[in-house]
Amino acid sequence: MSAAVQERLTQLWETPHTLWGELTTVDHKKLGKRYIATAFFFLIIGGLEALVMRVQLATPNSGMLDPETYYQIFTMHGVTMIFWYAQPILSGFAIFLIPLMIGTRDLAFPRLNAFTYWTFLFSGLLLYGSSIIYEAPRGGWFAYVPLTDKPYSPGLGMDFFVFSLLLLTISSTGGAVNFVVTIFRQRCPGMTVSRMPLFLYSTLTASIVAILSMPALSAALVLLELDRQWGFHFYDPAHGGIVLLWQQLFWFFGHPWVYVVFLPATGMMSMIFPVFSRRPIVGYPYVAVATVMTGVVGFGVWIHHMFATGMSTMSMSFFSAASMTISVFSAVQVFAWIATVWLGRPVMTAAFHFAIGFLAVFIIGGLNGIITAVIPFDWQLTDTYFVVAHLHYVLVGTNMLPVFAGLYYWYPKITGRMLSEVLGKISFWLIFIGLNVAFFPMHIVALLGMPRRQYTYPAGLGWESWNMVETVGAFILGFGILLTFINVFKSARRGAVAGKNPWGADSLEWSTASPPPPYGSVHIPTVRSRNPLWDGHEEEKDPAGERILDQGRLTLSSSALDAVPESIARMPEDSILPLLEAIAISGVFAALLFTRLWIAAILAFVTLCLNGIWVWPKHREERP
Amino acid sequence: MSTIDLRVPHDMGPQSPITTVIVPEVDDHRGTYGIMLFILTEAFLFLMLFTAYFYLAEGTWRWLAENPPKLHYVLPMLAILLGSSGVVHWGEKQVKKRNFGAGRIALVVAIFMGLIFLALSAFDYKEHLRDVTPQTNSYGSIFYTITTFHVAHVCLGLFMLFFTLLLPRYEPRQWPPYRPYHNATMYWHFVDFVWVFIVAFLYVAPNMR
Repeated sequence: MSAAVQERLTQLWETPHTLWGELTTVDHKKLGKRYIATAFFFLIIGGLEALVMRVQLATPNSGMLDPETYYQIFTMHGVTMIFWYAQPILSGFAIFLIPLMIGTRDLAFPRLNAFTYWTFLFSGLLLYGSSIIYEAPRGGWFAYVPLTDKPYSPGLGMDFFVFSLLLLTISSTGGAVNFVVTIFRQRCPGMTVSRMPLFLYSTLTASIVAILSMPALSAALVLLELDRQWGFHFYDPAHGGIVLLWQQLFWFFGHPWVYVVFLPATGMMSMIFPVFSRRPIVGYPYVAVATVMTGVVGFGVWIHHMFATGMSTMSMSFFSAASMTISVFSAVQVFAWIATVWLGRPVMTAAFHFAIGFLAVFIIGGLNGIITAVIPFDWQLTDTYFVVAHLHYVLVGTNMLPVFAGLYYWYPKITGRMLSEVLGKISFWLIFIGLNVAFFPMHIVALLGMPRRQYTYPAGLGWESWNMVETVGAFILGFGILLTFINVFKSARRGAVAGKNPWGADSLEWSTASPPPPYGSVHIPTVRSRNPLWDGHEEEKDPAGERILDQGRLTLSSSALDAVPESIARMPEDSILPLLEAIAISGVFAALLFTRLWIAAILAFVTLCLNGIWVWPKHREERP
Repeated sequence: MSTIDLRVPHDMGPQSPITTVIVPEVDDHRGTYGIMLFILTEAFLFLMLFTAYFYLAEGTWRWLAENPPKLHYVLPMLAILLGSSGVVHWGEKQVKKRNFGAGRIALVVAIFMGLIFLALSAFDYKEHLRDVTPQTNSYGSIFYTITTFHVAHVCLGLFMLFFTLLLPRYEPRQWPPYRPYHNATMYWHFVDFVWVFIVAFLYVAPNMR
């Protein structure tokens, strides 16, 4: 490959380093980094909110926060972590990595990718707009009615919740559509479904789950807003409404969502365990099928969030059984990872520390989840700190630890520099100790009867010392996270230069330079096994230069199952339209928030017109 | 732009010989797949709303027995929408046969039918609102929510058809947008399909009781 070819490809794909370039870019690498940075920003905000709450709860009868402030912070913590951190961070990694992993030049819809980033950002800003005017939502992250209906939650807090989340559902759905089409359509020649990296299986499953479950959230939110501001009666029993409708819709979305924030993280694990065990993963097909089945069965378990609402024994038993079934698929994955480490020759890097930590925490979080799927036990523990302990073990354990493992693992690819291993291992131990010290005692205070969602508690119930321990743990955890962020900033300039493949990894993203050039790889690679960089096949061998595709922004499209090249895909140029349309559609929701229907209608029309310009033909062609 | 050399080597499997296959086309299907997934998520939105309707109906079925919605606007509206689906389908076939003028006429007719649908639904609302408003009870709330959501989707579908009508040419293309006629038509079929269920669940079923 000549330097001239590289220069030509760079010219084609590079975004100019100007402000205009930053606003118009559709490069998945830039947008992926931006996604990751923004999601970590929300993690920091949500983390600070958690620390404030832990200070309040460290001592009984604490007067540091009044109830109103506490409930606002507590709601914002949950909403931020679950919606603006846990899923977008995984999207960020997927956006950066997937095109490199499958050997293509960008996602299937690069402009949609930019649009989903901007709507994600604006939805987060809209949400925090409510905090600025001290009107943040205060109904918990699942916002149960009737508490969140107008009479009990006056003010605009819940309306901010509704519209920022609606905007986010647009962003997430767009992102999911993008992943599904990319994975089915743009894998490089030879990457059949039986050779796909497992990260693709998990992202694909999570994306399909998101496409099917997001509408339930949108519907629930729209109905809530109509109730709140337009006098409708969906959740109002006095006029034939049913309060449980909210819970049905919300959890039909909510439980599959758990798998949306969990599955891609397990996919990261399935990439990282084999590399640091120096062998291919054990039971590849079983892990792949278990991933897909988790997504499928995940649609049949939502009632387990509602065992305490009074339902027929029959339906509860069914959902209890389905919930326990999920653990079978999780167990398949866990045993595959353990076997991989067992049969391999582990290399104890910082990323591998996080991966092993994940296994330990996931097993505890999984086991206390099985316990709560048992109905009598659930009745005993519902609305106590046991549920808080479970969901933090599961979310911190299966989302944050894998994401940090992924950060240590892929940071060299993203920036071209290695993170400090020493700092990383210290950070891991602080995080691991911190989260166990913070969340394990919650099981105990729960069994001692401590209810969740309370802004304070009386002394003398035996809860004080445990709560103090939890607060100490939370600060250790926070300090551990801070160390990693210090590491990230320090290593960006001073870290050791990574080179192409510092870990000796097997997947295609490691075959390009670090950081990857704007076009990815010069020749579209071909693949002959599940571990392309560990076999003898040369991925980029292309003596005739037939897979350079340098006549424009081009990449290959291939068949869905066998990845047989079928056609050439043209990729769009940079465009300001995604940003403009994101602004317009955010304006629609902001106008609806303040019940300005005409402004909303005009902006909706503007959005449609921008969309028309977006897809309007830009190239003259002579008639054939 | 120079012409593209479209040959791509096709190298599969450890044993298979390296062969060269001709890849003759520009990928024109990504947009269609995107629209399909968009329709899928929209279909689930309506599924959720119908679920909410039946869930709420447990409490308000009594109201329906007293005063079921009338059918004299809705059945013609159904005929119009299904008819317009047929028209755009015919139009798409004509475009495939390179009768582009006929394709355009089909779009004009379909848009006109869609507008009649919107006008009739205004009349239907006017009559219906005398009996029940969205603020009357949960039945009114869900009834108007589902139908208004559908009207919004009809508007979006009409916008797509109108956009397609404005496009300068319908020949198979080497540049995006690749299959505007097909994609817009597919969305329009979806909108019409949803209306069948709305008529069945919200209008006909209550009259059967």
